[in-house]
Amino acid sequence: MSQPANAVKKPVSIKKGILRLLLYFVVLDVCVITLYPYFAMLCTALKNRVEIFSGGTILPIVPLWSNFIDIWSRAPMAKYMLNSVLIAGGSTIIAMLCGIPAAYALARMKFKGQTAFLGFVIVSQMFAPVVLLIGIYQVMQKLGLTDNILGLIFINAAFNQAFTIWLLRGTFMGISAEMEQAATIDGCTRVQSMMKVLLPVAAPGIVTTLIFIFINAWNEYTVALCLISTDTFKPLTVGINTFNGYNMIEWQYLFAASIFAIIPVVILFMCIEKNLVSGLASGGVKG
Amino acid sequence: MSTKTPSAPAEAQELAKKVPRLSGSKKLFRKVEPYIWIAPSIILMAIFIVTPIVKVFQLSMSKVTRAGLVKGYNNFENFTNVLKSPAFSLVLKNTIVWTIAVVVISTVLGFMLALVLNNKFRGRKVARAIVVFPWATTLVIQASAWNFIINKDYGTLNTLLMKIGLISAPVNWTPTPGAYFAWEIACGIFVTIPFVTFCVLSGLQSIDASYYEAATVDGAGYFQKLFSITLPLVKSSLTVATVLNIIYVFNSFPIIWTMTKGDPANHTDTLVTYLYKLAFYNGKQGEASAVSVIGFLILLVCASVYMIYTLRKGDDDL
Repeated sequence: MSQPANAVKKPVSIKKGILRLLLYFVVLDVCVITLYPYFAMLCTALKNRVEIFSGGTILPIVPLWSNFIDIWSRAPMAKYMLNSVLIAGGSTIIAMLCGIPAAYALARMKFKGQTAFLGFVIVSQMFAPVVLLIGIYQVMQKLGLTDNILGLIFINAAFNQAFTIWLLRGTFMGISAEMEQAATIDGCTRVQSMMKVLLPVAAPGIVTTLIFIFINAWNEYTVALCLISTDTFKPLTVGINTFNGYNMIEWQYLFAASIFAIIPVVILFMCIEKNLVSGLASGGVKG
Repeated sequence: MSTKTPSAPAEAQELAKKVPRLSGSKKLFRKVEPYIWIAPSIILMAIFIVTPIVKVFQLSMSKVTRAGLVKGYNNFENFTNVLKSPAFSLVLKNTIVWTIAVVVISTVLGFMLALVLNNKFRGRKVARAIVVFPWATTLVIQASAWNFIINKDYGTLNTLLMKIGLISAPVNWTPTPGAYFAWEIACGIFVTIPFVTFCVLSGLQSIDASYYEAATVDGAGYFQKLFSITLPLVKSSLTVATVLNIIYVFNSFPIIWTMTKGDPANHTDTLVTYLYKLAFYNGKQGEASAVSVIGFLILLVCASVYMIYTLRKGDDDL
């Protein structure tokens, strides 16, 4: 086994070196291009108006860190931030409370309509909130939840059900049911065996799902744009557009605020990236 | 364990094994139990997804006043109005161009990037963490950043290119609506690539290295291995990623809304921005709902392919 591999290896070592160089070149390019918008945002957030609109510089002449402080007084940024946290947190809790039992039933029980339910869960992904906005608006009017954070929480939770159920079902199915059965024989109820046996084992999958819903709800824009009209109820994604006025755009403030909106999410995302993708790509078959 | 006599039919015996020594009420509970478990989820989705769907279908076939009052069935007038309007064909064309361009290009580039990142090299973890950035960033912010970068007067793309010496005077990157639309597509591709890359990467990592070793011993070249080992084995990851992408991209609203709002005169509108304006700017909720329904019908084809595919795959291991 090792001999033929070595025999092949020697004559191509120069070619290999070139390929390696090419690889680093491509990777470096990709990273630079990917980070460029963030770099541009950061630089702009540190400039003053005159410097931005006269153009000609990339790096700020003198970094103006005060922009990062000014935004908190120029717009109700603290409120936006709090709203985003409430919306994302609330949606996550509700989506998990509804999603865990459903995923459990799909993974551990057999019942009539199981396939139909699963089919509906998948098809529901087709209906993005944007296309249903008119209907959503009417439902919210009936419930008195327009211009209300609670309304956004429910919408985000509902539209993330598909992911929640899909990812959790996969996670649960990847875990052997034997331990739970043993617990049941020992006199545990189903709820107890789920809480005490299954959920701790499934914790990585659950955390991944949790963070993913949180990020989705945090980044949601369209429904909030449509439903929320009171400034102090807006989440960050909508609120930062305060700096994007009709007549002029305060780029430095817009980007300073954007950076506050990006950082928590990027950090969270990097924590789950690996688990999340394996769950998504395998169609949720494995956790 | 069985409580039945040995002479009982095999089927009943099977059943008896599953539910040993249960009284009538317990048996009933066992039957309804799964539905209790899925009830919260169903209620949540029924109120906030199914009801809006029904509403949209209902509105699409009704005469609706500007205040949103439904005035009864109107013989598909909303649909004929929408289809007759000259803007609609432009919007539909834009939507198709937008969806196909973003999905196809980002799938190809994302796949290639995955192949690159699947190599072992120093700094691989850092590179993967960086590539995930656009996926995690909300689209509004990403679109604002690009809008700033390509601005003719003060955008940093012109500044950068002038500093390097590639251009001597600022270039107007968006001279026509078509050019602006192309930039929106570029932004769409930029934010979609990471999703494809990571789906493919996870597929790639599950491939057993021994396949490649065996192929190398047999004298297979790089492209031979790519087409006869890699592609067939990541096909399923790639299919799921592509179908989900078609749905997301088709329904993507924030990029176009932030960059151009579909202006000038619907030249950069897609179905979703068009229907948003119809409903919330022009007060034509009936027609907007008709546009929604047309969008559903287009997507339904994609979703049914996806559903058949994933359900079939799911059934195998049930």
